[in-house]
Formats: sequence, C-alpha cells, structure tokens
Amino acid sequence: MSEIKILLNNEERIVEVQPYETLLEVLREKLGVISPKCGCDRGDCGACNVLLNGRSVRSCLILAVEVDGQEIITVEGISKDGLSKVQESMIDNNSFQCGFCAPGVIISATELLNNNPHPTREDIKEALSGNLCRCTGYLPILEAVENATKE
Amino acid sequence: MSILHDFEYYKPADIKSAVELLDKFGNKAKILAGGTDLVVQMKENIVTPDAVIDIKAIDKLNEISLDDETLFIGACVTFTELMESEIIQKYFPLIKDMSATVASMGIRNRATLVGNICSAVPSADSAPILLVYDAEVVIKSKSGERIIPIEQWFAGPKKTVRKDNELVTGVAIHLIKENHAGCYEKLGRYSGEDLAQAGICVLVFEDQIYHVAFCAVGPVPKRAEITEKFLNGKEITPEVIKQAKKLLLEEISPISDIRSSKEYRIHMMDVMFDRGMKKALNKLRGGTHV
Amino acid sequence: MDKLKYVGKPVVRIDGKEKVSGATRFTDDLEYGQNMLYAALVESTEAHALIKSIDTTEAEKYRGVVAVFTGKDFPYKFGLYMKDRYIFAMDRVRFVGEQVAAVVSRDKRIAEKAAKLVKVEYDPLPALFDQMESLKNDAVLIHPDLGEYVHVPWFFPQAKTNIAHWRKTRQGDIEKGFAEADYILEDTYRVPRYAHCPIETHAAVGLCDLSGRLTVWASSQSPHTQRNLFVEALAPLGFTHKDVRVIAPPIGGGFGGKAGVSMEILAAAMATKLRGNPVRVIWSREREFYNTSQRLGVIAKLKIGVKNDGMFTAIDHRLYWDAGASAEYGANVVNAVGLSATGPYRFPNIFIDSVCLYTNLPPCGAYRGFGYSEFMFGLESHINRIATHLKMDPVTLRKKNAIQEGDILAYGVPMNPSGLLKAIDAVEKEIEWSKKVKPIDSNKVIGKGFSLIWKAPAMPPNASSAAFIKFSEDGSLNILVSGMDMGQGFLTVMAQIAAEILTVPVSKIRTENPDTDRNPYEWQTVASHVTWSCGNAVRNAAINARDQIFEIVERACDLPKDELYLKDEKVKCKAKPEFELPLKNFVIDGIQTEDGTFRGGPILGKGIFMPEFTSANSDPETSQGGHPNVHYTVGAAAIILEIDKDTGEMHVKKVVEAIDAGKAINPDLVKGQITGGLLQGLSTVLYEDMRYDEKGKLLNPNFTDYKIPTAKDIPDEIVPIIIEVPQPDGPFGARGVGEHTMIPAAPMVANAIQDALGVRIKTMPITQEKVAMTYLKKKEK
Ligand code: FES
Ligand code: FES
Repeated sequence: MSEIKILLNNEERIVEVQPYETLLEVLREKLGVISPKCGCDRGDCGACNVLLNGRSVRSCLILAVEVDGQEIITVEGISKDGLSKVQESMIDNNSFQCGFCAPGVIISATELLNNNPHPTREDIKEALSGNLCRCTGYLPILEAVENATKE
Repeated sequence: MSILHDFEYYKPADIKSAVELLDKFGNKAKILAGGTDLVVQMKENIVTPDAVIDIKAIDKLNEISLDDETLFIGACVTFTELMESEIIQKYFPLIKDMSATVASMGIRNRATLVGNICSAVPSADSAPILLVYDAEVVIKSKSGERIIPIEQWFAGPKKTVRKDNELVTGVAIHLIKENHAGCYEKLGRYSGEDLAQAGICVLVFEDQIYHVAFCAVGPVPKRAEITEKFLNGKEITPEVIKQAKKLLLEEISPISDIRSSKEYRIHMMDVMFDRGMKKALNKLRGGTHV
Repeated sequence: MDKLKYVGKPVVRIDGKEKVSGATRFTDDLEYGQNMLYAALVESTEAHALIKSIDTTEAEKYRGVVAVFTGKDFPYKFGLYMKDRYIFAMDRVRFVGEQVAAVVSRDKRIAEKAAKLVKVEYDPLPALFDQMESLKNDAVLIHPDLGEYVHVPWFFPQAKTNIAHWRKTRQGDIEKGFAEADYILEDTYRVPRYAHCPIETHAAVGLCDLSGRLTVWASSQSPHTQRNLFVEALAPLGFTHKDVRVIAPPIGGGFGGKAGVSMEILAAAMATKLRGNPVRVIWSREREFYNTSQRLGVIAKLKIGVKNDGMFTAIDHRLYWDAGASAEYGANVVNAVGLSATGPYRFPNIFIDSVCLYTNLPPCGAYRGFGYSEFMFGLESHINRIATHLKMDPVTLRKKNAIQEGDILAYGVPMNPSGLLKAIDAVEKEIEWSKKVKPIDSNKVIGKGFSLIWKAPAMPPNASSAAFIKFSEDGSLNILVSGMDMGQGFLTVMAQIAAEILTVPVSKIRTENPDTDRNPYEWQTVASHVTWSCGNAVRNAAINARDQIFEIVERACDLPKDELYLKDEKVKCKAKPEFELPLKNFVIDGIQTEDGTFRGGPILGKGIFMPEFTSANSDPETSQGGHPNVHYTVGAAAIILEIDKDTGEMHVKKVVEAIDAGKAINPDLVKGQITGGLLQGLSTVLYEDMRYDEKGKLLNPNFTDYKIPTAKDIPDEIVPIIIEVPQPDGPFGARGVGEHTMIPAAPMVANAIQDALGVRIKTMPITQEKVAMTYLKKKEK
C-alpha cells in the first residue's frame, strides 16, 4: 500500500493505493469519481478516458501508483463550474443516446479543442475514433463538436 | 477485471537504479513505460511479474534528440510525442505517418515506440520503419551498453534478443543524407483503429536502392532482402514490379487467423507493395524529401 | 387536429444535461454501501458435457470467501416464453462460458482468485455447432426433457428433438403459385450470430434485506418482466411479487440484449441466501460476448416465383435458426419471422417454415430487428436478382409488389395504413436512383443498392403499458412509467405527449426511470413498441388528469366541464373568455370556494393501454385464424457504395433512409434512430464477425477483434426522411421506428456490391476481405 497525491479536478487528493489497482478502479471506488466508465477494461473503447496532465488516456490501462504527483481531470472537473461549450452543444444536438460513452467522448473532445480550437471534420473524427459509441452513429457528436467551434 | 496477482512497483529515477533492479529481479521483473500492453497482460494473467519497474521518471528516456546526425528516441517517448516532435516532422516524416496509424489518440498519448518493438508482436507497426532505416536498439545493463541492429532484434513472435537484466533505453537512427522517399502501407479491417493484418514499408533512393520491410505476414517483422537485392540498381517498370512481387511473396509466410486469411494477406501484400512503391516513387520524383 | 405545440417538435432530450455532465448514475455507479459482496463466476469450459462433479472445498477454504454457490443451491428453471434454463448449470453444461458456480467475497480479487480453485469434472458429450446438424434425426439431444418444458401456447417444441419451436405459415396454394410462375429463383442465404455490444455491460446488484425483501438493481430493458420471472423462479423460496422489487437505473445501451432475464437472476438468487448484503454481479466485456443472449444465426432457403410482368406468384421461405443452448427468448424471434417472412410484399401463395434449433453455442434472444434483419438480407437480395433476370429495375419490381393498406398479410388479416410507396419514392428521388455515379479513382467502382424496411412488434397479445402523472405545487409534473430510456429518447417522448395534452412545457416535466414498487406496469421496452403502447398509456393518463382538472373546476367555479379547455398551463373557458385559472394554483392544493372550503386535491392521472384486437391463437399448421401482430412499420433505404476493387475496402458515400413513423413525436430523435441504427446495421454486414473454434469457444470476445465502427467508419452523408401516414391507434398517430432503421443495411450493401462488381455474396458478413477475394476469383475465371 502506498500513498499517492494527485491534483484531481483541481483539488489535491491523497489516497492509499495498491500497486495492482488501476487508476480507473481508484477513481471510481476510492475517490468517488464515477464519470469514467468501464466499457472493456483493455483499452479498446475509451469509456474510461480521463485527462492526465492535459492528455486523454485510458484510465483502465494505468496503474494508480503511476500518476503520483500528476494532474487528472474528469468530466466532474469539467462540469464543476458550469458546462463547457462543447457540452452545451452536445445537449443542443441530442448528441448522446444512452450516454454511457459520453464522459469518454467529452474528454477526447476537450483535449482536441484545447490543442486545436478550429478542427476540421477529419480532425474531429480522428480525435474521437478511440471512443466507441454503439448508439448514435457518431454524427450528432461530430456535429456538436463542430458547432461548439463556430462563431 | 482486476489484476489478480501482487507485485512491487518501482519507479527508479535514473538508468543505474533501473538496471540494478532488473539485475535483481531478472525475469521476475517487467518494465513499464506506456503500459498499454503490460497492464492488459497483467489483467489477463498472461504475465505475473514480482516487480514492475516504471521507467518514466528517467529523464533521458523521455527524450527525442538529434546528435551527431543520429536520432535518438527514448524508451518512454509516446507516439503522440513523435507525431508532435519537430525533429521527427523535419527529418523522419514517415515515422509521423506511421505513428498516426497506431491505435487511437488515447492510446498514442501513452503507448511508446520502444514498447511496441519490445512487445514484438508480429504486427508491430513501428518495426517495418525501423527496419528500412536500419535503426539500432540501445540497451543498458550492469555490464554496460550494447547496440543491436534492429534486423537482429526480433527473435520470434513476442520474443526479442533482450536479456532479462537488460533495459532498452531507446532506438537510434542515423540520418540519411541521400535523397529518398518512403511510405508505410497498413492493412486494417476498417478505417478505425486496428492492428496491422499486414504492413509494408518501402524506402526508395535516387540511386535506385530500395529498402523494403514488412510486418504481420511472418513470425517476425523483417526486411525483404531477396526482393531488395533484385530491385537494387533497377529502374522501376511494371515488369520489374511484377517480378519483385513474386520474390516478395516468397519471402513472407503469413498465416490465417481470426483477423485475416493467409490468402487475403498474400493478395494484399501484392497490392500494397505495388501501391507503396508507386507512392514512394511519386514522392521521390516530386522531390519531397521524406 | 389542432396545431401541435410539443408533439412533432425536435425538443432536446430531457436527460441531455444529466448525460453530458457526468451526473447519470448507471447501475454500477450507484452506492450500495459497505456491505457489498462481489461474485466471481466459474464457467463451463465444455460446449456440451455432463457435470460429473464440482469440488468447491478449496474455494470455500480460501481466506475471505463468504459463500460458494452451484446449481444444486437453486434447482429452478426460468425463461421468458419457455422455461428451459437454470440459474447455474445443473447436471449438464450446454455451451462454453455457461455459469457453473459462483464464489462470493467482500473483496473482488479474492472472489476471482478463489473461483479459480473450484474444480469441475466433465463427461463430454458430442456438441452441435451448426443448426443443420441439430436438425438431423440422430443428433445428440441438447434438452432431453424438452417435452416437459413449460412454454407459451404459441410455441410448438418437438419432444426428443432439438427443435424448440416450429412456426408454419401457409396461405393459398403454393404448388399452383409456382406452376403459374414464369421464373423461379431458389437459393440459400446465411446470416451468422451477432453480439449486441452495448458499451455498458450487463450489471445487476441484488439485496435481500433481513425482513426478506428482495431488491434488484439491474441494467435492464424489462424491470416488470424481470420481477415476474424472478418471482416465478424463486417461488419455491417463498417469494411473491410483493416481496420483490426491481429498480432500473439508466442503461448504457440494450439493443434487445438486456430484455427478458439472463444474468440478473444470479444477483437475485444469490442475494436470497446472503441476507443483508448487496451482491454485485457485473459482466466483463469478455463475458458480455459469450454469456449474454446473441442475435440468432439463420440459414434461409428461399424460393420465389414471378411472372414475366414482375408480379410475384409464390414464396417458399424456410428458415433454420441457430438459437443456441436455450431458446426461452430466441424462439419468439423465430416465431415472429415465421409470421412475417414475406417481407413487405404481396404474395398470393405463401409457405413459410421457421424452425428454432438448439445448438451448443451461447443462448440467443432479442436483438434490434428481432429476426427481420436476418431474413430481409436474403429476401431483398433475392428480389434484386429476380429483377436482374427480368431485366427490370429492382425498384420498379419492388413497387409492383409492395404491400398496401388492406392487403392480406401472411396470417390472414389486413395490412395497416402504410407509407411504403411514399417511402420508396422519396428514397428513389433523393439517391437519384437511375443516375450512375462515376468513381474518381481508377481502382474504385461505385454501386447503388436498395432495400425495403418491414417489421412488426413481436409481443404477447396482451402486452400492456400503464402510466401515472402527478403534479407538483408549481404546476410541473412527473410521469411515472416503466418503459426504459435506452437512449432512444423514450423519457423525452413521453414528456412531449403529456405536454401536448396538459399544455405544460416539456422543460417542466420529469419522466421517471422504472421502479416496480412505484411506477406502474410495463411489459418490456422491446419491439419498438413503447412510443406506441406506453405513449398511449401516457396520453390516457394525461387525458385522465385533464378530466380531473375540469371536474374540479366545474365543481368549484361553477363552469360547465364541456366548455373548459387548457392553454399555456391554464384552465380556460369557451363560454367565459375572461376566465383563466393557472394549473399551479390548484393541482395540489385544490380550489378554495367562497365559504373558505376547498374542492379537489392533488391531481393524479392514470392511463393504461393494451391492444384488445390481438390474439396468438391460430391453426398451428397454417397460422391462420389469429391476429398476432399489432401493425407493421415500413420504409425504404438506398446506399451509394464505393469499393476498392483490389483491396475490397468499402466506403459509404451516401445513405438515404425513409421510415414511416406514423407521426414523429420528436423528429430529431427519429433521425437519431436512423443514424444510429444504420451504422449498427452497416457494421453487421461490413465488420462484425463472431469466430468460434472447433470446440465452441468464442475466439474474439473483445473489441480488438470483434470490430464495431468508430467515428472514422461512418457514411459520408446520411439523409433521414420521415414519412407520416398515421397509425390510427397510435398516440398522435405514432408507431415505432427504433429497430427498423438497421434492417435495410445488409441487403442494400449486398445489392450495391452486385451493382458495382457483378458478384453476389450470399453469406454475411460481407467484409472487405470477402469482397476482395470473391472479386479476385471472378477475375481469375
Ligand atoms: S474501459 Fe478503458 S478503454 Fe475501455
Ligand atoms: S450514446 Fe450509447 S454508447 Fe454512445
């Protein structure tokens, strides 16, 4: 058991973890952060995506001990002080159906827009192609990201 | 799915301590960089190390550098970092192109090129490129440094010549001065992320020298030596390509698995070699330095 | 009808904010407290075997293990339409991955580790992986006691065979029909099994408290049906409906896979023996692939006769289904197809056999499309081939034979109002059907394909829905129903229906997720029927609430009920234009009269709906005499497909899909069903492929090798078209569209490939590899 300290959604959190615990497990089971979901547990679906030092990563493939001293942002953090533009746009576009993929998709979209405020349709597809969504056919999600970058 | 076995986690701050740990645990240790393979394998109980040695805190291993006309890609450099690196974009755009074909953003942000060749799956996307560039694998152990030409690196499916006490610190590639162009063609089952069902990388030089390497169509990624020998010194004509294809198909030994049939892989190597050569030659004629 | 204010409008989803803010709590996101127990499963390694022994001693001794369960702890059968499965395997296992035992611990790792210590000894039996093998007379019996199984009256299992059900539909004179034909085309089409792949895997938590009250939280499409089946199965332990409660939190996708009961029964059963502790059973992605219901595979032998003028004379459609190790749900898919395998066409002479066969592969059940995607692949391929032979345009051929309102269906009742021809015309126009598209790249070719859409809900004849509507002090309201929003937008659509009648804006309405204790009955959220059925119930509840409102106003204000109406959340009176009473003033508190007393009280609307014209009773030899289906939803679709001749890679340039929604309560959500359903359909034809080894073990139980599309794999352009020919008994004329949207995908791709390359592929999936290799063979010839 070792103690790690992370900046989680802008709040310093200290938590005891075992080496075998993944970041996804620790977030959901020990830190009460449940927006990252487990869709496959092997890196294929993107439902567990979180921002680690600003980059989207699969929290199911990271050991919690690895991120000691680092910064993590989840959808809880993004939504804390009001929704972001892309989230608002997703509401307006009816982007999600079941919404299970939504937190992972929002993480990927947020990373994309942070690095590239005016992405093309192809850029958006590339950035979201690691997030599996079985319901929507992706189109309403892509359109929402596009709309969020307009004006 | 949880990781069921217990292990110790180490995060050495320098190469020396990493190597000492490796020396101590030998085959009971696993090196952790991106973790995109290792963590899955631990969850699935395929590997059960006593020690997991996280090498990301070692500064040197996070570097992409160009010294003495040699590119060094540290063991912790991710595919995203390669894609974003100015050095790579300027001198090795092909590495950028290849990196873009690896999985998806959330994986590329974590997965490393060195990890890719250390896992040594037959479908490793990084391998053909390193092969055509005659890259070298840089290895440290308690007994010092050893450099292994990438040609000799792969020892079988998921096997390399790395010894248990050795740490791969990175790969080195010597800058090529001659004008050349290249291309990596990858066969996937759809546009989304996929493992290569077959991959081929070609480099063409102005003086009619050709480098060709492949992955996923044999137990290890390899240079197509016979094909290259035949091509070298020849002007590329449809007839030459036709004959070269025959040789190439003899050099590969694809199998049928759940991803693709042997027959389709053979057919696609034929198609991709043809298209790859054309693309590379076009680039060369267009004067684009790869 | 007056101008509609909320119905027919592209309202944003009422749960949209919850979903994008990360607030939605799915089953595994809820807190169940410190007493949680984790269950780890022991699964069969054999496809078909007798269980010789199960040794649990090592597991029981393992430190931290609370309990170990095997079949003998719960010797109870269950199943939706036929009781043919056990909670844990009893004396035999019937597929690789079947649950044999479970180990329970407070620590999930301990449970998993101890599960590996359970030793099961098997006596292998011959295993059947191909339904045609199961059909043979000398085939090993997968359910030797089939003859004794309890089942619904419209199933016809055949004892001492592997035939779980055989639906026969006959109309006219089939021999005469073929004798009249100028051309007969006969061929076989194969469609393999598929996996639903909701991104949220199956999840259930059971808690039996110390008083004996059982609550199950489940990712479920069917909370009431689950309660009913739990009670049926656990009745020997003394449970009644009153003692069992199912709560269905939001679900992360269902697609039919979370209908009925499958793994949820484990959480329910184990909880009964671990009182006071929630028992958590969550499926891993791997298990989601091999131990939940899959879509049935089918081998369809199809024969159609046609006159030279294109008029169909007869259809002989024999479908042999691979239902897997249990058919409790899957047999109803077989049944549905047996009644509808004519497709949306008029055939004067009909012979359909739809045969449900047990195999030693995972059990199959409901999957979006419920058998229609499967048989439409062959049927719509066949129709194109007939058109080619007749040198007739395939769309013209379809129009000539398209079923219309009043035409007699295969089981002998008239077809409902339908916009089929309108849909065909709209698609034909939008896709510019007669115009050839030229590829830019010389390696590529472009083809066009067309297909019709056709499906009826498959339900018991008395499947029903119920709704309550209750007001709050500010005039906002809650709708209590037990339909599930699996993403289709059910909650929003119900709100729109209530809004329209009660003139309360959608933003002031909350539709509640099901809880069998609190919300009224709903059969299941399947069959694309909740908009229609539960929509009717909500409509009735809203009308009921409105009647109560008018009655109170009449009593308290002395205004004639018949003159009252609602407008903008107020009661108004035609006879007294200046009268205006906001709902919020009285829907809880009542109306005060001059003497200071009050009239009324909380408004509580109730509504139910059950179709009263359906019956499953019919002649087992012909299926004539009943009225099994409520109505069909129809439509048409077409595709422009670009194919790389060398690599076989396919790229969808454009898809057009027109669907007759009767009335689109929310057009944006209908369009969402079209984009989502089409991609799911395209995926079954282009990418997805379940691979079993020779021992019946699934080789690709993960997204690494069972490919579902990503954002990079979508069509360049999708044009959704909504046709509205009202369904007379639907709420505002609506009928369901959820499943239908994926049905045309496979045949239109096959037809486009034929158009582009001149090859006909009759086996799904049609992967790029298959296209390349088929074309290569053609070139070599
Ligand atoms: S759960 Fe991590 S990628 Fe699917
Ligand atoms: S909305 Fe259901 S998985 Fe994306």
